[in-house]
Amino acid sequence: MLSMSLCQQNLPLMKISYLKVLRDLTSDYTKNSMLVLSIAIGVFGIGCILGGYSVLSREMTTNYTSTLPASATIELDDSIPRSLVDRVKRLPVVKEADRRATLMARMYVNGRWYPLLLFVIDRFDDLRISTFHHLSGATEPALGTMLVERTALSMMEAKEGATLTVKTQPGGPKSVRIAGTVHDPALAPAWQEQAGYGYITLETLHWLGETQSFDQLKIQVASDGDSAPRITEQAQTVSAWLAKQGYKVGEIQVPPPNRHPHQSQMSSIMTIFIVFSYLILLLGSILVATSIATLMVKQVRQIGVMKTIGATSGQIAGLYLFMILILCTVALVIGIPLSRMAASVLYTRIANLLNLELTDTRIPAWVLLLQIATGLLIPLLVTAFPVIRGSRLPIRKALDNYGVSQSGQTGASWLAPLSSIRFLGETFLLSLRNVFRQRTRLAMTLGLLAAGGAMFMTALNVSSAWDTNLRRIYTQRLYDLDIRLTNPTQASEAIAQLTHLKGVRQIEVGYFAPASMARQGSFAVTHTYPDKGHGSFTIQALPVPTRLLNPTILEGQWLQNRTANEVVLNQLARKKEQKIGDSLILSIAGKPTAWRIIGFTEDVGSPATAYVSAEAFAKISPPTGRTTMLRIAFTNRDRTYAKPKINEIENRLEQAGIAVRSSVPVWLLHNAIAAHMKILVNSLLAMAILMALVGTLGLLSTMSMNVLERTREIGVMRAIGATPTRIHKLIMWEGLAIGGLSLTLGFIFSLLLSTYLGRFIGQMAFRTPLSLTISPLAFGIWVSIVGIGSYLATVYPARRANRLTTREALAYE
Amino acid sequence: MQHKPVIELIGVTKSFTLASGTFQALKQVSLSIPASQLIAITGKSGSGKSTLLNLITGIDKPTTGSITVNDVRIDKLSESALASWRGRNIGVVFQFFQLLPTLTILENVMLPMEFCDRYPKAERKNRALQLLEQVDIRDQANKFPAALSGGQQQRAAIARALANDPPIIVADEPTGNLDSQTASAIFQLFAKLAQAGKTVIVVTHEKEFSAWFKHTIAISDGVID
Repeated sequence: MLSMSLCQQNLPLMKISYLKVLRDLTSDYTKNSMLVLSIAIGVFGIGCILGGYSVLSREMTTNYTSTLPASATIELDDSIPRSLVDRVKRLPVVKEADRRATLMARMYVNGRWYPLLLFVIDRFDDLRISTFHHLSGATEPALGTMLVERTALSMMEAKEGATLTVKTQPGGPKSVRIAGTVHDPALAPAWQEQAGYGYITLETLHWLGETQSFDQLKIQVASDGDSAPRITEQAQTVSAWLAKQGYKVGEIQVPPPNRHPHQSQMSSIMTIFIVFSYLILLLGSILVATSIATLMVKQVRQIGVMKTIGATSGQIAGLYLFMILILCTVALVIGIPLSRMAASVLYTRIANLLNLELTDTRIPAWVLLLQIATGLLIPLLVTAFPVIRGSRLPIRKALDNYGVSQSGQTGASWLAPLSSIRFLGETFLLSLRNVFRQRTRLAMTLGLLAAGGAMFMTALNVSSAWDTNLRRIYTQRLYDLDIRLTNPTQASEAIAQLTHLKGVRQIEVGYFAPASMARQGSFAVTHTYPDKGHGSFTIQALPVPTRLLNPTILEGQWLQNRTANEVVLNQLARKKEQKIGDSLILSIAGKPTAWRIIGFTEDVGSPATAYVSAEAFAKISPPTGRTTMLRIAFTNRDRTYAKPKINEIENRLEQAGIAVRSSVPVWLLHNAIAAHMKILVNSLLAMAILMALVGTLGLLSTMSMNVLERTREIGVMRAIGATPTRIHKLIMWEGLAIGGLSLTLGFIFSLLLSTYLGRFIGQMAFRTPLSLTISPLAFGIWVSIVGIGSYLATVYPARRANRLTTREALAYE
Repeated sequence: MQHKPVIELIGVTKSFTLASGTFQALKQVSLSIPASQLIAITGKSGSGKSTLLNLITGIDKPTTGSITVNDVRIDKLSESALASWRGRNIGVVFQFFQLLPTLTILENVMLPMEFCDRYPKAERKNRALQLLEQVDIRDQANKFPAALSGGQQQRAAIARALANDPPIIVADEPTGNLDSQTASAIFQLFAKLAQAGKTVIVVTHEKEFSAWFKHTIAISDGVID
């Protein structure tokens, strides 16, 4: 026993009063370990999340800015000569400029064609803008070879030196050797995008059969490189200058400056975790507060004695605060190293998810300081009330303490009418009255359990809402496969290839094109990143009426008029100020066209999209009857059925000379989005389990305190004939009643919290709130946890109460 | 020889508010207690003797009247001032000993010196051991209270009451939980303390020990007889 060893030791430097605190702490290892654990969990959570977040946030910026990202990319319809780049560089608003081309080719891997994003680089040896880091092999790919982004190797199922079959739009398949590897932190991992990334020279591009040249002018602005509006303004100036020189500007792409494409998502997810971690720490602190209050009830006579022999209220409070400090310190000693280990796992995994190379894994000192400060301050603040109240107890009251205060009993008067309800039983009624005797403590316990329950149910509710929302992918998309073609193809020809295939129920054709919203008198601006995916905006031209799309209309109506220039925007494309009836200029292939907004939809799993009628669209774009988008519905929506069917369709199209740019089955889209958020949902569940644990510990603490205070009263009941079984029942009903009350409160809180969190996560993922979903499973599990927890929390106090003889109980002080 | 009163109560009333109404535990009590005496306060259960003791020790405050102890109007002192004053001026001995269970006997005796910051730190241990010697339990110094008999615990409690060398020792039914032989030994100890110049006030209802007291204050229904 530590208390004995402490006794034997000569501790001349330690104050006797502190020695008492240490011995009190070591006299109940189990209980104090629980307290330490509850604080340590919160400290651990905060350290793990903040540690991971701080490293990732810093590394994300370091990695991204190390590529010297372009402030803006100006797409021209013409090829850009090097002399033009040199002239642009001399413009006062431009710091650096380069020319580039990006195009989507295809690669043949394991019997399937996959998209291959090719970046055509002007000078590999003099990259000054939108760079990448060389890892291995050649630094400049020779003709017929390419450098590959490191994450694309697994997608290509190839190694450096291997050859890959690559096909561009006009050319036939060619074998391209992988000459080296690079790391491009500005790109999402290839496996995440289900695409390959290659870096080639213009010569190799032409060797592949392409005729295009450099058509992207990448610039870094001379000043205010952190401000998107200023960058846009300066890019507009350059575009106007280019137009004056006779060049035709397509669009200006201004991605959020110095922000990795996934930066805001990561910040949002981390914010949720940080909030939950703080809530766990707060709950743990409430648990410590209730336990310290228990201890003070147990030691109320000792407090009276200490005051009698000369201790002031301040000295008494100091002793108990010292006790809390020790608990917190032990919790910090346990929580901090574990949190750092967990943080390293977290940032390593997320860095992998984000294609980051961690250059510096040091967790900043402020994380440690914050952990220490909150791990000490929050428990101290929460416990300050019971400690101060206990230490200020008048000596007479402390010395006369015979158990539960009489003053707390008045609150039970409103329960008096219950006496007339016979079926409730005397024991239950007495238990119910006991519940309300210590109302402050009851409020604390209820708060702890209700908060734990609310967060537990919220985690499962949000998870359920997420699943429900994601399932809307299937109800909004009545097709099973979305195929994008490389070239506009005669619709009837494409349909003819597929219509008689077994299992194909319906085919719908349409057109898609990258677009941007333009303003009169200025060049169209998008926020698209160089990967052409993040921040992109697409126009989809669909047949009216469309049979394979079931959009959720938020406002206005769906497309009805085949020929009118009417547009429906989804929530990602909609701007705050836009309303029904507004006119909108959409720039498609550099050509501005006016449209009238007739509706707004809420899509799940789509990028920013404007929906228009195919006939109306044909007036401005490809010749009527041509298509770039096929949507196919199968007779069976099952994934196992669809998988071989997709290969069959792709092969049929390829054989017919119809180049497929991409094919995305709906189930793959569903799974990809689900997988993206799985880490969030699983983490919420892990937090929920911790909540349940801390909540149950709180109930155990309260029940122990309630029974301890009434030891003498229980002795009286035993003396007048109450059997141990009846005493047990009395205590058990009390625990269950508290549990039952907390359930009601927890459920109400969970509705509020689920709504808020669902809104937050939905906005972050889909730009639309998740609808409130009540998970019966969550409620059922929490009822079981509270029921079993409440029962178990009463077993020990009841056993303790019954273990004392009636004489001991009556003599209990 | 007539000693100067060390404790003086004038017109002291103490009332408690209960659910059934106001209860007067002490009614217009005036008394003087001389120094260096062994004095008994006797009375039946509920007569007001413990209330009187609580007022003398500053544990409770009077509803009306004044209490002067060693020339200090303790009814006027604040709670914190009272705590410090009590630690230095009054040693309290309880019926159930009330030693702190997680401290050894030696540490229990040293604790009041620490709270009141009396005696240099280096001297406290020796003083505590001397006091334990004085009450004949020095050999028990490093034991926890639970390992001692009732009589030994009460001796330890007396040593603790003497820790800060207070002029007044107050004991509330100090022998109520002890056998008669041990009780006699405790009264002998109190008598010695009185002879040494301490004022020892003992609340008791055990008449067989009345021979030990020079003065007895009998109280019934809140009034001194």
